[in-house]
Amino acid sequence: MSKNYLDFKRSSKFPFMRDVVIDKIYDKAKKNKDIFFSTPDMGAPALDEFRKNLPKQFVHCGISEQQMISFAGGLALMKKKIFCYAMAPFINSRCYEQIKCSISAMDLNVNLIAVGVGIGYADAGPTHYSTEDICIMKVFPNITIYTPSDDISSNIITEKIIKKDHFNYLRLDRDALPTIYKKTNFNFEKGYNFLNKKKNKICIITCGYLTHKALRICKDLHHKVDVIDLFRIKPFPKSLVSQLKNYKEIISIEEQLAAGGFGASIQEELSNNNVKNKVKKFCLDDKYYFENGGRDYLHNKYGLSSEKIIRYIKNK
Amino acid sequence: MKKKYINLVNKSKWLRSEIFEMVVKVNQGHIASSLSQAEILISLYYSGILNIKKKNPKYKNRDRVIVSKGHSAMGAYPIFADLGYINKNELSKYGTPSGKLRIYGDKSIPGIETTSGSLAQAPGIATGFAYCSKLDKQNFYTYVILSDGEHYEGQLWETAMFAAHYKLDNLVFIVDRNKQIILGKNEKLLKLEPLRKKWESFGWNVFDINGHKYSELVPVLKKTRKLKNGKPSLIIANTIKGKGISYMEDVTRWHNTMPNDKQIQIARKDLLKNCIHE
Repeated sequence: MSKNYLDFKRSSKFPFMRDVVIDKIYDKAKKNKDIFFSTPDMGAPALDEFRKNLPKQFVHCGISEQQMISFAGGLALMKKKIFCYAMAPFINSRCYEQIKCSISAMDLNVNLIAVGVGIGYADAGPTHYSTEDICIMKVFPNITIYTPSDDISSNIITEKIIKKDHFNYLRLDRDALPTIYKKTNFNFEKGYNFLNKKKNKICIITCGYLTHKALRICKDLHHKVDVIDLFRIKPFPKSLVSQLKNYKEIISIEEQLAAGGFGASIQEELSNNNVKNKVKKFCLDDKYYFENGGRDYLHNKYGLSSEKIIRYIKNK
Repeated sequence: MKKKYINLVNKSKWLRSEIFEMVVKVNQGHIASSLSQAEILISLYYSGILNIKKKNPKYKNRDRVIVSKGHSAMGAYPIFADLGYINKNELSKYGTPSGKLRIYGDKSIPGIETTSGSLAQAPGIATGFAYCSKLDKQNFYTYVILSDGEHYEGQLWETAMFAAHYKLDNLVFIVDRNKQIILGKNEKLLKLEPLRKKWESFGWNVFDINGHKYSELVPVLKKTRKLKNGKPSLIIANTIKGKGISYMEDVTRWHNTMPNDKQIQIARKDLLKNCIHE
C-alpha cells in the first residue's frame, strides 16, 4: 500500500476533537447543574472525569438512541442544556424521526455531537460511516451545523454553543487532527475562514478532516489555489457568496455522497443568488464500500484521490 | 349510581358531546379514540389528583399530563377550556384557520406539554420531565396516556427500560387499552399480550382496571402517587373504542371515519344518555 497522502496518524501529538469538546462542556457543567450530557454508550478519555464527578448530569441511556433524543427533548422543555453524544450514524439517521419530532418540530435547544463523520471509521464499513449526514440534517429548518477541523476550532465552537441556546449539530472527526488555527484567527461569527487567500482563480472549499487534505493540495500546488474552511454549512454564511463570485471555479471536497451534500449546498446557495460560477464537486462515488485499506485508500479508489484533484486544478 | 363519583360521571356525558360536536363540525379528528380515553382524562383533571392551577397552564410545579396517542389529544381541549387554559370560543374554532386547536396536540396549545402524534416519542420526553422533577426536587408527577398501537414501537420499550433504571416513580403511564389499531384488533393483527407481564418484567408497577369506571380509575391513580417504591407505574385501563356511540363501540372502521347526517343524529341521541355509571 502506498504511503498515506496526509502524513499525520492517530497519535498523542494532537488532541482528539471529542476530548476538547467534552473537556469544555465538563468545565462549564461543573459550575452549572443545568448542563447535561447523554450518550448511548460512546466513550472518550475526557468523559471519564465527567461521569465520575457529575453523575447526575451524565445520563447513560443504554444503546437506545431514540430514547436518548426524546429524553433530551424533555430536558430541553425543562429548560436544561443537553448534549447528546454518539458515533455519527447512530445520532443522525438511527434516530432521525426523533430528531424531527422531539427536537426540531418543537424548536428545542438540544446539541447533538456526532463522532466519525464521513468515512472516519474507514475499515468498519457503511454501518459506521456517515456519508449522507449533511444531506439529511441540513433539511431541519432550525438546525445549525458545525464541522470543526482542529482543536482550536472545536474549543471555540463548543464555547459559543454552550452560551447560546439553539439546536446544534456538531460534526467531529474520529481522528486527532493537527492544529490549523490560532485562537486569534478563527472567526466564529463569519461561519468560514480563508486558510489561503492569494487571489487565485480557483478555490477549494471544504471542512473538517478534508480541510487538512485541501491544505496539503494547496501546498503541493505551491499555493496556487485558495482554500476556504466552511465550518458552518447551515445557516449558509451570507458573506461567502460574494467571496465565491471572485473565482473562476470553485472546487468542493467532501466525504459525503453527492446528493444533497456539502458541495450541493454550495451549488444551491450560488444558484439561489444568481451566481453562475462553476462548482466542481469532489465527493464519494455513489455507492457503499465494504473494503479494507484505510481512509486514504478509499479516497484514492472512490472519488477523492488527491492526485486526481491536483491534476484537475493543474489542467485549468 | 354511586354518589361518590357523580360529578365525574356527569363530566363523562359532557366531554363526549363536546368532542363529538367539535369533530363533526369540521369533519376532522378521531372520535372513537377520544371516547375511549374520556374517563382517564376526567379522572386525572377532575378528581383532585393533579396539582394544577386553573387558568395557569404554565404553573411551574404542575403535574404534567401528556396524551401520547396524539390523534386523540384533541379529546382534552374541552377540559382545557373548562379549566381556563384556553378561551371557550376556541372549541368552536377547532380545526379552522382562525383557531388554535388542531387534531394533533402541539406545544403551541396551552395545556399541551409536548407535541405528540408520532407514536412512542412522548413517553421518552416524559422521562425528561420526570428525571428533572426528581433531580430538582420539584416533586411533580408526569402522566402519559398511551395507546395500544404505541406498544409496537421499539422506542416505547427503550423508554420502559430507562424509566425503571432511573427509578422514576413519579412517572405514571396509562394505557387506553381499547384493543384496536386502524386495521383491526391487536390480538389478531400482531398480538400484544401478555401486556401486564411484559411491563412487570421491565420493572414497573402494573395495574389492570376497567377504564370506564371511576370507582376503579380514581383509587388506582391515587395509589400510584402513594407507592413511591422506586418503580414507575403503568395502568392498563381496559376501554371500548367509540364508547358511548352505539354503532361505533368496538367497531374497527370508526378510527378516523366521519359519520353521515343520519349517523350524526343517532350519535346525538346516544350521547344524551350517559354510558358511564360509576
